[in-house]
Amino acid sequence: MTLETRGLRKAFGGVVAIDGADVQFQPGKVNALIGPNGSGKTTFFNCVTGMIKPDSGSVLFGDRDLTGRAPHVVARAGVGRTFQLCRVFPRMTAVENVLAAVRPGGLLHGLRSAHRQDETERAHGWLTRLGIEHLAGAEARNMSWGQQKLLELAGVLMAEPKTILLDEPAGGVNPALLDRIGTLVRELNAEGRTFVIVEHNMDLVMSISDHIVVFDRGRPIAAGPPAEVRADERVLGAYLGV
Amino acid sequence: MLIAAILVFPSLAPNPYILSSGVIVLNWAVLATAWNFVGGFTGYISLGHGALAGLGGYATGLLITKAGIPSFVALILAAVLVAALAVPIGFAALRVRGASFVIVSIALVLILLLVFQSWSSVTGGSRGLVVPRPFPGMLRPEHHRAFFFLYGGLLILALATWWLLDRSRFGMGLKAIREDEDKAESLGTPTFAYKLTVFVVSTAFTALAGGLYALWFGDLDPVFQFSVLTGSYIVLMALLGGVRNLFGPVLGAIVVGIALEYFKVEFGSTPLHLVTTGLLLGLVVMFMPDGVIPSVTGLAQRLRKREQSSIREFTAADLAEQRKRDREGATS
Amino acid sequence: MPSGALLLQSIILGLLLGGLYALLAAGLTLYFGIMRVVMIAHSAFLILAAYLAWWTNDRLGIDPLLSMVVTVPLFFGAGVLLQRGLLSRLRPVTLTMMSVLITFAIALIIEGLLGYVFSGTQRRIQLGYGTESFNLFGARVAVVKLIAFALAAVSLAGLYVLMKRTQFGWALRATIQHPDAARLVGIDTERTAGFGFGLGLATAAVGGTALSLDTTIYPSLHWHWIGPLMAIIVVGGLGSVPGAAAAALVLGLAQSLLQIPMGATWAQTVFYVALFATLAVRPQGFFGGRLAQRF
Repeated sequence: MTLETRGLRKAFGGVVAIDGADVQFQPGKVNALIGPNGSGKTTFFNCVTGMIKPDSGSVLFGDRDLTGRAPHVVARAGVGRTFQLCRVFPRMTAVENVLAAVRPGGLLHGLRSAHRQDETERAHGWLTRLGIEHLAGAEARNMSWGQQKLLELAGVLMAEPKTILLDEPAGGVNPALLDRIGTLVRELNAEGRTFVIVEHNMDLVMSISDHIVVFDRGRPIAAGPPAEVRADERVLGAYLGV
Repeated sequence: MLIAAILVFPSLAPNPYILSSGVIVLNWAVLATAWNFVGGFTGYISLGHGALAGLGGYATGLLITKAGIPSFVALILAAVLVAALAVPIGFAALRVRGASFVIVSIALVLILLLVFQSWSSVTGGSRGLVVPRPFPGMLRPEHHRAFFFLYGGLLILALATWWLLDRSRFGMGLKAIREDEDKAESLGTPTFAYKLTVFVVSTAFTALAGGLYALWFGDLDPVFQFSVLTGSYIVLMALLGGVRNLFGPVLGAIVVGIALEYFKVEFGSTPLHLVTTGLLLGLVVMFMPDGVIPSVTGLAQRLRKREQSSIREFTAADLAEQRKRDREGATS
Repeated sequence: MPSGALLLQSIILGLLLGGLYALLAAGLTLYFGIMRVVMIAHSAFLILAAYLAWWTNDRLGIDPLLSMVVTVPLFFGAGVLLQRGLLSRLRPVTLTMMSVLITFAIALIIEGLLGYVFSGTQRRIQLGYGTESFNLFGARVAVVKLIAFALAAVSLAGLYVLMKRTQFGWALRATIQHPDAARLVGIDTERTAGFGFGLGLATAAVGGTALSLDTTIYPSLHWHWIGPLMAIIVVGGLGSVPGAAAAALVLGLAQSLLQIPMGATWAQTVFYVALFATLAVRPQGFFGGRLAQRF
């Protein structure tokens, strides 16, 4: 399942945030989306996940057209995401945060208990995997920033997405956690999940990604493996203003 | 506990007046619980539930008087009709976030008052609508008793439904909406459909309570049926008791409902009602937005200097406090 | 078919009424822009100002317009206090919902106090020039309505100049559009937000005085105003002042014209019909309103 956009465009008033972006992410790989501040990366994520309707262009996931579909439709199609300023449900416990990602199915399924044993076990499984199982009963608002970031990821994973968009996973986390997140992404990727990561931390980007797309002024200016992108003059130009 | 209180109360009530007050308090309890389907789960505050109850009342009354349908069939039919009407209302009000919902809920009260006062050929206008009693031969105390049990049954049905939703996946999705709507949607919750469904369920219970009121009281006046004040009493009750608790709104209804009856007897109807309601609402919102139960339990816990560590413990403490208050409230 | 003169008169009256709606809706829009607050008590303050104008005239025997010397600064102060003392203390997550309840509570308190102090009796100012009117191509227009419109127009123009030309206006607009960025460039957004609320409430003081000139007032009158005003800000697109002004004129005109075939009571429904239609068809409003989509 390839996630790609064709001619995606979004303007806010007179400001063009995304300007005809054709982007193709490589399935089964760790993709990174980098670019200077204000180059439209987060808006791009929001358009892809349905939080914002693009003005024109299309979003395709495999053979499905997800253009302008509601966020829950995109999520159900198998595209999960985290938010730049990590978002969890503050007054739910950690395990409830993860369980909230369970698809209820039809109306009658919706009336089933939210704490079914198999799903609760699966939720605890994710918490364990991310190393926050000891906080399962704590309300999310009482957790530290790093713990909330892991919790957010656990929720996204619970929904079993095929492709996961991470918006600045390294933002505001300490070096130890940074290492752990890097390792986790690689492991989860090895199990078959595609990743698309927006990130400013170049060490992390260069160490974990297979494919890098460089954004500048709302459109991709370069794409390729890390070594190739690092050597690209246009990329240096965009970052350094040369 | 609650069932026992409902069963016993009519035989303990010293006179028909107290019994009729009991009916009124139960009416409030049903309304506040019905409101809590929307307010408690999704966090959307409706100030228009008073008008939805009024609509249920009028629909019941009109079906009986104009279409000649038997009382209780009319009651059910009216609830279905009003719930169906909630679909387009919810469609307009729930597509975007909270602010529009509140605006629509207030607008609903104002427009319904306008229509029901002015359209006098159908609704009786300001003269009101007389609804025939369902049990013609019954004496007043027996009449009150019958409706006390009917309301009690409805309350238990509403509470059971709330409880069922609270522990379901559907309820989990609704609570996720309350916490962070964007996030819930990005995890795959169809937020609009969820909000609309629960709004319709809430409306159905509200309309049933309004319809029962019409059958019991027998006389509907648009000024009281479509009053912003009714809606604000409901909100006050639910918030005061605590919207996250199954019994919170019932507790709030008992406290505020009894206070309302008491003030009506002591002071009659004065503009100071409004002032008191306003002050209380303001105080609750500013100082205990989670309601009395969490505030009290929170305080108790702080006094005991014990960190709450699991949600289970919290709920058990809540329920104990709740039961105690229910007992006190129901027998006072 | 109504006569040409009647039609013209309705159009003029509609535009005059629309002017007052526009001023009041501008206040509501300010609150919403600054803090995402739906200020239910706006029209209660409007009626309060009308009562104070009536009282000034009734007790002191001076022109009700002079009451603005006191009410405008008073309301400005009340607005600042309301924002700083109550609304800014609410939790940001639930701000929109809880602020509705707070302002609703304030509306109830004002209505109750008005009823208690002045009783529920309907009041009306008797003015020397109250019944005077002049002819405009066969349409009769009361002088007081024109004064009310002039007050609204002058205040709106003043508000516009304040927002566009003054340093405070720039700070306020920056606070509305991007509070974080505004803080970064050294704007005290807290204080600016407080003043913005004061400004919003000052529109209610002017509007109330204008209203008192030719309207019979009673304590619960504010409910007849808040509904139309909220409809206007939704139709105009929440958060957009020009949108609110345009919607106010259009809906004021529609109300006035519909009174000819439908009568005064039913004509009021135009606001609610417009409200529901807007939310169902175009929730972001018909006149811009960048914020509306998310609220």
